[in-house]
Amino acid sequence: MSKITLGNESLVGSLTPSNKKSYKLTNKIQEGKTPLYSVAFNFIDARYFTCFVSAGGNGINLYNCLEDGSISLLYAFADEDKEEEFNTASWACGVEGNPFVVAGGEKGIIRVIDVNNEKIHKSLVGHGDLVNEIRTQPLKPQLVLSASKDESVRLWNVETGICILIFAGTGGHRNEVISVDFHPSDKHRFVSCGMDTTIKIWSMKEFWTYVEKSFTWKDDPSKFPTKFVELPVFTASVHTDFVDCNRWVGDFILSKSDEILLWEPILKENSPGEGTSDVLLRYPIPNCNLWFIKFSCDLSLNYLSIGNEEGKIYVWDLKSCPPVLVTVLSHNQSKSVIRQTAMSTDGNTILAASEDGTIWRWDAINKEQAVTVEAQPPPILHQYRRREGKSQLKQVRGSGITVIWYSAHNNSSSNRFQLVFDSPPFDMASFDYRDDMPMPGVVGTMDGMQQKQQDVSIWF
Amino acid sequence: MASGASPSSSATRSDPHKHSTTSQAEKRAPASKEVSAVIDSLKKKLAADRCISIKRRIDENKKNVRGITQSTMRSCMERGGGSYKDGSDLLVKRQRDSPGMKSGVNASDADKSNNHSSFLEDGNASSTTMVQGSSVPVKISLRPIKMPDVKRLSPYTTWVFLDRNQRMTEDQSVVGRRRIYYDQTGGEALICSDSEEEAIDEEDEKRAFLEPEDFIIRMTLDQLGLSDSVLEELANFLSRSSSEIKDLTTEDMNTEHLIQARYEVLMKEKEVSESGDNQAESSLLNKDMDGALDSFDNLFCRRCLVFDCRLHGCSQDLIFPAEKPAPWTPPVDENLTCGANCYKTLLKSNRIPANGTTEDKTGTSSDGAGTKTTSKFSGKLNRKKTKTFPSESASSNEKCTPETSDSENGVQQDTNPEKVSSSSKVKASGRRGGRKRNNNRVAERVSRRTQKRQKKSEASDTDSIATGSRSASDAKHKDNEDATSSSQKHVKSGSSKNSRKNDTPVDDSKNSVKGDDPFSQSNAVASEPCSDGSLRKEEFVGENVCPGGLSEDKSWRPLEKSLFQKGVEIFGMNSCMIARNLLCGLKSCWEVFQYMTCSENKASFFGGDALNPDGSSKFDINGNMTNNQVRRRSRFLRRRGKVRRLKYTWKSAAYHSIRKRSTDKKDQPCRQFNPCNCKTACGKECTCLLNGTCCEKYCGCPKSCKNRFRGCHCAKSQCRSRQCPCFAADRECDPDVCRNCWVIGGDGTLGVPSQRGDNYECRNMKLLLKQQQRFVLDAYRKGDKLKFANHSPEPNCYAKVIMVAGDHRVGIFAKERILAGEELFYDYRYEPDRAPAWARKPEASGSKKDENVTPSVGRPKKVA
Repeated sequence: MSKITLGNESLVGSLTPSNKKSYKLTNKIQEGKTPLYSVAFNFIDARYFTCFVSAGGNGINLYNCLEDGSISLLYAFADEDKEEEFNTASWACGVEGNPFVVAGGEKGIIRVIDVNNEKIHKSLVGHGDLVNEIRTQPLKPQLVLSASKDESVRLWNVETGICILIFAGTGGHRNEVISVDFHPSDKHRFVSCGMDTTIKIWSMKEFWTYVEKSFTWKDDPSKFPTKFVELPVFTASVHTDFVDCNRWVGDFILSKSDEILLWEPILKENSPGEGTSDVLLRYPIPNCNLWFIKFSCDLSLNYLSIGNEEGKIYVWDLKSCPPVLVTVLSHNQSKSVIRQTAMSTDGNTILAASEDGTIWRWDAINKEQAVTVEAQPPPILHQYRRREGKSQLKQVRGSGITVIWYSAHNNSSSNRFQLVFDSPPFDMASFDYRDDMPMPGVVGTMDGMQQKQQDVSIWF
Repeated sequence: MASGASPSSSATRSDPHKHSTTSQAEKRAPASKEVSAVIDSLKKKLAADRCISIKRRIDENKKNVRGITQSTMRSCMERGGGSYKDGSDLLVKRQRDSPGMKSGVNASDADKSNNHSSFLEDGNASSTTMVQGSSVPVKISLRPIKMPDVKRLSPYTTWVFLDRNQRMTEDQSVVGRRRIYYDQTGGEALICSDSEEEAIDEEDEKRAFLEPEDFIIRMTLDQLGLSDSVLEELANFLSRSSSEIKDLTTEDMNTEHLIQARYEVLMKEKEVSESGDNQAESSLLNKDMDGALDSFDNLFCRRCLVFDCRLHGCSQDLIFPAEKPAPWTPPVDENLTCGANCYKTLLKSNRIPANGTTEDKTGTSSDGAGTKTTSKFSGKLNRKKTKTFPSESASSNEKCTPETSDSENGVQQDTNPEKVSSSSKVKASGRRGGRKRNNNRVAERVSRRTQKRQKKSEASDTDSIATGSRSASDAKHKDNEDATSSSQKHVKSGSSKNSRKNDTPVDDSKNSVKGDDPFSQSNAVASEPCSDGSLRKEEFVGENVCPGGLSEDKSWRPLEKSLFQKGVEIFGMNSCMIARNLLCGLKSCWEVFQYMTCSENKASFFGGDALNPDGSSKFDINGNMTNNQVRRRSRFLRRRGKVRRLKYTWKSAAYHSIRKRSTDKKDQPCRQFNPCNCKTACGKECTCLLNGTCCEKYCGCPKSCKNRFRGCHCAKSQCRSRQCPCFAADRECDPDVCRNCWVIGGDGTLGVPSQRGDNYECRNMKLLLKQQQRFVLDAYRKGDKLKFANHSPEPNCYAKVIMVAGDHRVGIFAKERILAGEELFYDYRYEPDRAPAWARKPEASGSKKDENVTPSVGRPKKVA
């Protein structure tokens, strides 16, 4: 663990599930004997939101999730070469909106499957070693990134089959790249991570003309002037072990090593390559020490799900702070490693691809989306007085609660103050004081000065 | 505890030394419990702050995410509504038609085993059966669609062929400052830490106070005052929390001092911020030159002439050569202007309209155009000045000729004032004749002096008129007076000769006074005017000059000023070059020119009283560091540089076991060259000598140094036997040293390839080669294309370590005649017992050596 300096602590989620949302197992498919490494819902095209692809062995299968919990097989593709072992699959689409499935694996060859025509659209050759992950640019789904053992990340245009950019070299990864992810809104930016324990943010802004060129390239794809991008925008070392999955959450990054961290890359605008990373939240995952266990989020980034070595699935609430574990999904038959989960766009379905070749489908029991029931104000536990203008520290006897309050900056009109509790069950909680609370003002005398006192309530 | 000054005494606060000596705490020290309570509370407050800030940021991000995901969703919907709506989309059709599989697994009780659906028996089998769910088996024929085989590439690591690929172990992408070593089996990377560097790390981190620590220090000391016990507690607390350093008392004391110092810093900052002058424009330009040069000193490799050199690392010792190169003389035509803002253009445009009568040299009447520029270089001062000069004819009026000339220090002559008086012919000759045409110059000077004397006498006529305006004129005049009073004998006359063109009211005049002692010394021949006349050069600069003169000193920021000074050192008084090369985008040529003419006054002032007795002044280009102004690198930058110093080559070198060789420089190739900083010819204490290396051209010592390698005198391309001293010493011939063997010439087209001849020089590469049993080169991640050359027990090439410009490099030389297209082999020189099977000689490895050859040796590593 990187050393936590004073004042830069991150909030750690507790492993007590809140059961805010619960899931039940609705289906289980034995696809084959070979381990499944990847399962992915289509997040590209609203028509296919229920479709998902699984990859493992030399087979790529496309399924449809039906409403009633059943799963239908749509397509099955198999590489003729038995040596092939697909590690990853991702949805993409052509310029006309025709769905593609892009998969890669052991051989380092990326297969672009034109689903509607049931054939290979392109085979992208170039990686020097196996491909660990493929991700599709959500804004321009013809672009995919592939992370490879050859220490490079490549940007491809699946429509034309062109390798546009190679991200490797001087500032590149020093070991296998395991995961990549496009920035959700900045089309120039992506993040990659790998076995060298670093997470790198790359920018292709200067090379965007090549990306555009790749769409109109008529010549042989091998003649395209592929460029090397050698220097990342930022290199973060927030983990000390292999980093095998990372995703953007807005401008923050979720990255997984032995636990999942949500951190903010703080880049220095005028000096590229420099910056700091600030780890905000920690999502512990028990029994998740193998590498190549990847998490997934739903489209609106409300939830995160990840499997572990024991076949359990942890669902975290991404909106809460500090992190709240929603639920743990376990089943007595699910014993082998879950390499990848897939959450449907609405977060109501979770699929898990297991190493024993099975796909597990979990559906949310209550499918209400965006349950926003405002909780009743909790009972008032303690009331404290706050004096204005001074920092104060108070130990509340018996309760083990330490309260610190202070008024905000002198000239700031917002009377903000904070409370800290360190009594169980709260490891540490903190509250914001809001000015809109009904607060009878009390005027007292202190140190010869008139000071306003206000009642403050602490709720639990 | 040596610290403990009272917080109220400002004297002690400002002087950290006193802290260590004064040890009385004026206030009663608060109990340590109290202190720790305060610290704890502050800590909690910090934690709470942090918590709040995290929440706030998460919330902000949440909004952000919501926007993004909504737009993503929208685009997904749009895609769905595009083409293929009519059902021609096969996927949609399949989605509709495919039967669903309902498995028998229930969420409630999941103990029923064997209840699973299976679409495919085996992933790669073409199964046609699909068994559904628990009870009803349904057969659906779904034959997997074959993907045609594509041949895979042989495994490789993406490798960019660039010099920059040099960086390997010292790469900062590795966590911390750790290095990658490769284990012997050649597969995995082991990350080992360099204990030496780690140690430095901790030290560094201890000293760097983080913002929250600052906060705690400030708040605690504010509340409890500054006293021993508080400091002690703080030190305890901080050293415990920031790094797991044991509570060594020395550490604590250190920390205490640091805390105290830090507190003072904080208080000062506070004062500054409270005093309210927010100079937000603390941009780069307000940095001073030394700060800016720090990065240059640290990052620029003086041997490779590139920034961020991978070979020599950064933070090299600064070497200031004893011999200074001559200032650069621009080979440009005098008439060429550097752009729209060139001072030549502007001067010209000023002059011409005002220039009615051209005869008048001294400008008594209406000649507003008597702008004279001339550069004067006093060799000893190494200072250049520009003067404006009266031109005798109309044609030369337009020519302003800043002359730069050498100030070679060994020679006594002052290669000074090439003064162009009238014709271009004289000008040309004067320019050439820095050294050779002394007679001519002297003659010229004499004539000029006399002209000037005339001028001055006339100027003094107008003095009465000028004084009125002069009193009101800018501070420059004052400067002049000061300057002259300190540097010259004839102050009064000099300053009183400030004359101006009175009849052109827009014109303003400026005076620049030259302090040119050397000038007068060396020109004793032209004796009489030296003391008064030649010292005064009136400048009649156009109206644009002087209005600027008032404000320009202020508008020039420190950095620009220092840049200007550097520019003068490099280019002489050539405002075009300075503006273009150093102040590009900051100042125009015209501004530089103005500043130059103005700053001359100061220069003369400075030169007059601050001149060092040995003749080197502040403006000495190369010698400036030799005096009291050795530029110090800031610790901050040095720390940064430290990360990347290469170590692997010489760290692994076993210096003591050097085999004696038969050359005169016996062990020379084994030593790592580091330039020495000798000022004079190297003596016994020269680091090169001690280190056993020759002095190279990067050393500070003069060329006459005995320790320098003399080079060879071979004829061209004859450096092939041990007759050639370079060859014998395993050195590459250096055109700077060797006389004949290189094709010397300005074109540079011939030299390099023909000299290196038919051997292949591998630049900076790390070959799989054991050099002299001491170095191991690993070409896993870097090297040029020759890193792919293979090993052979019977090679057609051999590798030789030669000294190229102070660095050891590996050259691959042909052993025999090699035809085009032949594969190159060389001996990797494995030790017999360590060699992998494929590298063993046939007799050593037995018969089946070839079978073990795997194409993907991957990361071969040889151990010394």
